[in-house]
Amino acid sequence: MILKSGLRASAALVLLSLVTACAAPKGPSELIVLLPDSTGKVGTVIVSNGENKTVLNKALAAARVGEGPEQTQAVTLNQEEVDKTFAQALQAVPPEPVSFTLYFAKGSTDLLAKSKPAMRMVLLEVASRQVAEVQVTGHTDTVGRLKTNDDLALKRARAVAEMLKTRDLGTKRILTTGRGERELLVPTKDSVAEPLNRRVEIIVR
Amino acid sequence: MFMRTSLMITALIGTFLISAPLALADIGQIKTLKGKVEIERAGKTLTAEAGDALEQADTIVTGADGQLGMTFIDSTRMSSGPNSRIELSRFRFNSTTHDGEFNTRVKRGTLSVISGQIAKRSPDAMKVMTPASILGVRGTRFLVKVDDAGAGQ
Repeated sequence: MILKSGLRASAALVLLSLVTACAAPKGPSELIVLLPDSTGKVGTVIVSNGENKTVLNKALAAARVGEGPEQTQAVTLNQEEVDKTFAQALQAVPPEPVSFTLYFAKGSTDLLAKSKPAMRMVLLEVASRQVAEVQVTGHTDTVGRLKTNDDLALKRARAVAEMLKTRDLGTKRILTTGRGERELLVPTKDSVAEPLNRRVEIIVR
Repeated sequence: MFMRTSLMITALIGTFLISAPLALADIGQIKTLKGKVEIERAGKTLTAEAGDALEQADTIVTGADGQLGMTFIDSTRMSSGPNSRIELSRFRFNSTTHDGEFNTRVKRGTLSVISGQIAKRSPDAMKVMTPASILGVRGTRFLVKVDDAGAGQ
């Protein structure tokens, strides 16, 4: 009698698990998690499933998305769960880009003497990376017209790129660009001579 | 008048020629790689290696032991673990103004994203699509996982 009811119970269990398996969503299931960046700052990601919107704006806030829009669930994960689920992707994240700033004489592509040692730092940073790429971006202050400053910014970037090419840089991948007066290090009004804005930023990534 | 127009056209063509190689082809670079990773490009399947340049419309496919990390010219960083299929559907970036657009599709697997200049410049410029969702990226760091129970691709 005991044996019989035991059998009946296990049969019911098997049946139940079969039903559960059939009811499981056939389509893709998704997980989206927000993390703080290296400075601890947390951004925002908006997950849309049709009409349904889930706003992620806290560290470890996550959305689980099932088969239908109604199955989206806002949850908070713990760090261990994230580390486990995304172990290899997190391991493969490329090293953080490092930035160096070099300053220039007014209206020219002449590097200031105080900025010359920075070139050496760039070479060391490139050498420390497995696959390095150098982005050279020129900037100006707000004296002069936008177009003139775009040209000057690009000339500054190219001058630095040339200097890098004469050294044994270890990478051929040097990208140059000029941003003119669009990204001031020290915000000023138009037509203000500001030495800190006359610069080239070198990003090694 | 005619001369001015033709001068302008010449200037336009000049600008296009100078900006073309980077704007149209080279959008980023593979920085880290382990195991089997392939790039599907224009109907061909290429074996990926660290240092390889990436192009718009590339699809990155990692094997059961594969993982890779990439940087893009706007300083966005992405990486994927095994059994992933990631499509770099659309990438446009003006390095002077920072205007651009970056759409990525995660068909399956995992993707880690640390957004760069494109997302910083405009809140609607960067999107990640999955089979069921569209992610609007206001910044900066997030993870995506897609389990495909049914579909093979």
